[in-house]
Amino acid sequence: MRSPQDPTHPSNAPTSRIRRWRWRTVDIVVASVLAVAFGVLFAVWNNLIYPAISGPLTGSPAAPLIGGVWLLPAVVGGLVIRRPGAALYTEVVAATVSMLFGSAWGLSVFLSGVWQGLGAEVVFALLAYRRWGVVAAVFAGAGAGLAMGVYEGFVLNAPYAWDWKIVYTLCAITTGVVIAGVLGSVLVRALARTGVLAPFASGRAQAEV
Amino acid sequence: MDQDMTLLQTRISIDAGAPLARRNPVAKLAAAFVPAVMLLVTVDVVTAGVVLAAAVASVPAWGIGWRALFRRAWPLSVAVVTVAAGNAVFTGTKSGTALIDVGALLVTTDSVGVGLAAGLRVAGIALPGVLAVLTIDPVDLADSLARQLRVPARFAYGSLAALRLAPVMAAEWEILGRARRARGFGGDRNPVTAVRVFGGRVFALLVGAVRRGTRLAVAMDARGFDAVHTRTSARQARFGRADAALLAGSALLTAAAVVLAVAAGTWNPILS
Repeated sequence: MRSPQDPTHPSNAPTSRIRRWRWRTVDIVVASVLAVAFGVLFAVWNNLIYPAISGPLTGSPAAPLIGGVWLLPAVVGGLVIRRPGAALYTEVVAATVSMLFGSAWGLSVFLSGVWQGLGAEVVFALLAYRRWGVVAAVFAGAGAGLAMGVYEGFVLNAPYAWDWKIVYTLCAITTGVVIAGVLGSVLVRALARTGVLAPFASGRAQAEV
Repeated sequence: MDQDMTLLQTRISIDAGAPLARRNPVAKLAAAFVPAVMLLVTVDVVTAGVVLAAAVASVPAWGIGWRALFRRAWPLSVAVVTVAAGNAVFTGTKSGTALIDVGALLVTTDSVGVGLAAGLRVAGIALPGVLAVLTIDPVDLADSLARQLRVPARFAYGSLAALRLAPVMAAEWEILGRARRARGFGGDRNPVTAVRVFGGRVFALLVGAVRRGTRLAVAMDARGFDAVHTRTSARQARFGRADAALLAGSALLTAAAVVLAVAAGTWNPILS
């Protein structure tokens, strides 16, 4: 992240190719703030809601079906900030914040965040950081879900038989598509409609769509 | 220790002067990472058991009381039980004596062993990280990330600035809930309504967060946060001998756990 040396560089012209790669302060701070908000949400979800509703699913291969909530920051961060690395950054910071706020899972939360963020990031990268619609969101959600399913199903639930691992991963992809992908893009559109995304391309694009 | 940063009645007191609590944050995290990564590679009772036992034995050195730790980490014990049960049921290992055999459900002595190992492993992966994280102050972490791990300063301190808003957001979350409650939303038994009300509350939180973040970014830019020139640091994050010793101790312990597991014949890498 080296700054260009010209004195006229500051922040408001993300048009040229170099500018697309360099994060402005508002990109960093809003990605972080979104991540922190999701981290707070995770603290509520992890400590109060998830244990209450996951009862019948826990420990079964269908458990990841409600796990898509954990993938939201990756998709939402990517769609709002529209910078290379935004999906990964937002997910990792959200995971770290929920870790700092009393997750019982310690560092494994951070590792999950890295994999899930990478899953979405790879999809945005494959789309050359040019597609930010519902379809891109759905694929990014699927990527994050796949990463979550593989990481949890193969690493955390390593003793599962192969067919159950595949069921587990498919459930993870489903939740990624539905909760992170569809719900995530609905969320970003709604955010854009309120006008708070004005400093971002995602907020400006709203008028055209 | 900064107690503002805790949330949801998990306010716990930590003796910040305890020998391990005083270590460099990056050293603590790395020390917790070493056994966690090793446990990701193997599913066996001995490796996980040794790591877990060492983590439990080290609790007083972190300056965390047992009751405080339990208040923070009890969901972990629930998770350990469910992971153990789930793995015992869905594992491919079905040898040994059958304990439960009802229709498609078959649990044997060996599958219970597998489940037990999986549960211990999850605990062994999580607990060292919980201890490290509980004793880390976010400001020290940002300093240490920027200095020791060379994380770009704009990102280290940008995320720290956002983290400072977390208590505000947690408070706002409560206020949003109460405001909705006052207008007659929330507290419904109907799950569909409950989800809709929850969704609205989440959305309001996010809108507030983005608005605050945008304003914060302008304020930070006005104070030269985006400066091109050399940045200096107000605080020094040091990585001393004791920090290196913590890291070396963790690596040694992990190696010892692996040697014991191999000697006991339980060593079981997941990709074999």
